[in-house]
Amino acid sequence: MDKLKAIGTINIRKTAALAALLALFLIIPHYMRNAQLIMFSRVFILAVYGMSYDILRGYTGFINLGQAIFFGSGVYLGVIFLNMQNNLGSFVLALGAVILFSAAGGFLLSRIVLRTGGVVAAAMVTLAIGEIVRNIAERWRSVTGGQDGLPLRFSRVALDPLFSTRVGGYYFSLAFMLVMLLILRAFILSPTGRVLMSIRENEQRARFLGYQTNRYKTIALIVSSIAAGLSGVFFAVIARFANTDYLSIQYTLNALLITLVGGTGTLYGAIIGSFFVTWIQTFLLDLNRSFPGFTLFRYPMLFVGSFYILLVMFMPSGIMGGIYRLADWYRSWKTKRVT
Amino acid sequence: MGTFVTLIINGLAQGALIFLMASGLSIILGMMGVVNFSHGTLFLWGGYSYVWSYYAIRFSVVMRLFPDAVPLTRFGSILTIRGVQLPPDAALPFVVELGIFLAALAFAVVLVFALGYVFEKLFISRVYGNIPAQILITLGIQVVFTDLVRVIWGPNPFPIERPPFLNGVTAFGGARIVHYNVFLIIVGAVIAVVIHRVLTRSKVGMVIRAGLQNPDHVRAIGINIRGYFSLVFACGAALAGLGGALYMPLVGNVVSTAGMSNQILAFIVVVVGGLGSFMGSALGSVFLGLMGVAIAMLIPGLSVVANVLVMALVLIFKPDGLFGLAVKKHG
Repeated sequence: MDKLKAIGTINIRKTAALAALLALFLIIPHYMRNAQLIMFSRVFILAVYGMSYDILRGYTGFINLGQAIFFGSGVYLGVIFLNMQNNLGSFVLALGAVILFSAAGGFLLSRIVLRTGGVVAAAMVTLAIGEIVRNIAERWRSVTGGQDGLPLRFSRVALDPLFSTRVGGYYFSLAFMLVMLLILRAFILSPTGRVLMSIRENEQRARFLGYQTNRYKTIALIVSSIAAGLSGVFFAVIARFANTDYLSIQYTLNALLITLVGGTGTLYGAIIGSFFVTWIQTFLLDLNRSFPGFTLFRYPMLFVGSFYILLVMFMPSGIMGGIYRLADWYRSWKTKRVT
Repeated sequence: MGTFVTLIINGLAQGALIFLMASGLSIILGMMGVVNFSHGTLFLWGGYSYVWSYYAIRFSVVMRLFPDAVPLTRFGSILTIRGVQLPPDAALPFVVELGIFLAALAFAVVLVFALGYVFEKLFISRVYGNIPAQILITLGIQVVFTDLVRVIWGPNPFPIERPPFLNGVTAFGGARIVHYNVFLIIVGAVIAVVIHRVLTRSKVGMVIRAGLQNPDHVRAIGINIRGYFSLVFACGAALAGLGGALYMPLVGNVVSTAGMSNQILAFIVVVVGGLGSFMGSALGSVFLGLMGVAIAMLIPGLSVVANVLVMALVLIFKPDGLFGLAVKKHG
């Protein structure tokens, strides 16, 4: 209930702070180098990917280990469509295609996964399906390019300045994140979202109240798949490249990490998580480049993975959860002092 | 007829390998309610440590017996794997070859047993009963320890050979019988019988079976079920390690992605056979092994998706598993 209030209420101080933050984000790109611009663009887009995961994990308690299927397919569809024709029309077409694909995929997945009901079976099954999809993509080299990937054949003419300059890309991804944040927030606060939360808290009770919980879970799965797919398409524009890594368990783990760092069930947490995760990965990549002798730095997942294990063990509610806990503690401390 | 026999033997051998993975996974899931997503990495550690110790032991033995033997190319990174070319008319006696093979297997199994024990003590014992946290932690372990394998033995695949005494083919009627496959079937059958005997006839097995049904009651009798949990987890890990050790010579090519792909096979078996059921996973392994070989022969294009397709169909039409043996405990 606390979390609900934290999301639902509007107060002036908070709004002003958010406006200031937004203004900051609108100004800073003009003072950044290209590498930083790319990093921030990735942060915004991966934040949406994290949010898509949060809808599942944080609001329904369902662990989908095949989330990268949708993200990766989004990246691929983006690159393929923009390679056909580099203009706004084909970008919109890619978005449409990814929405259809993700909705169908999410529905199919829900049919398979929700039958058994258990978190265990769902996790195992989604992991298996995800790996098989990656496997198929790797073998289907004529379309996907396999591990070597599929670069975006890029023309500067189309959709100037959004696609061609890095500053454009920055605003583009910022806008995407804000729009998706509003949409997903509206979804969470809608009656459907409330039912999802009640399912997470106590599925049996929700069922006794007469809700067909599986139908609501299906809706959540489809919404989350679509959000992941859309973030994939936008990621294609920033990364200008697609390969099968985007379909692999590594990217599912990224989504998990983003929501875990930020705290599950907070939606905003995904932004913090995404910033943190992207920063760490960029940092490790730089480290690898400056110390080519150290083989250890060639495996960023070694560090990211260890960090992730520690996080699950010692800080299960993430940074946002930590902030909420601190705020609660501060409030109780203040009231104690007054009385 | 000949092809048919070949197919059956290949399928059963595959099934035996999958069984080694799946049975450990299944018992751990059934008794402790822990989904071990790091099972594949234990498999991988078993495989790599077997290959490394086999080649290291064989290298030093051969160099001592035949000083004029020629060392071959080195593979690996921190630890290296190096074959050796015997002089033209020389061979190691059978007993020595067998000894090297068994020692390497024992090394792999013991190492992975220890690894499993450490995983249980360090990570998994902290998150009993919290299924999401178990999934997330074991998944993290999977990623980290798979990369660790790449750090230690290098990321590139390399070829290996089977032990000479298992490396042969017998033509029998029209069938080509690969000796190594027969060996795998025998090992799988022996292990299955041993596990079955232990589970049904021994006191340890009794505690485990009781733990499968109701861990609280077992604890109430005064049995330290945590200790049994560690033991079961480590034994399951050791089975995966043995599976990995036997898998590498079968495919003859050491790849670091083998852990994940075999883990997924094991997951499919566990789902198809019924969650947490030992018999189910045994039957499921044989079924999947035979089916895989048959499909690779009849419709090779479908072989990648066939397993997942079967799993999806089973889940849609028979969510309790093909044999209806799911342990109904962990909703």
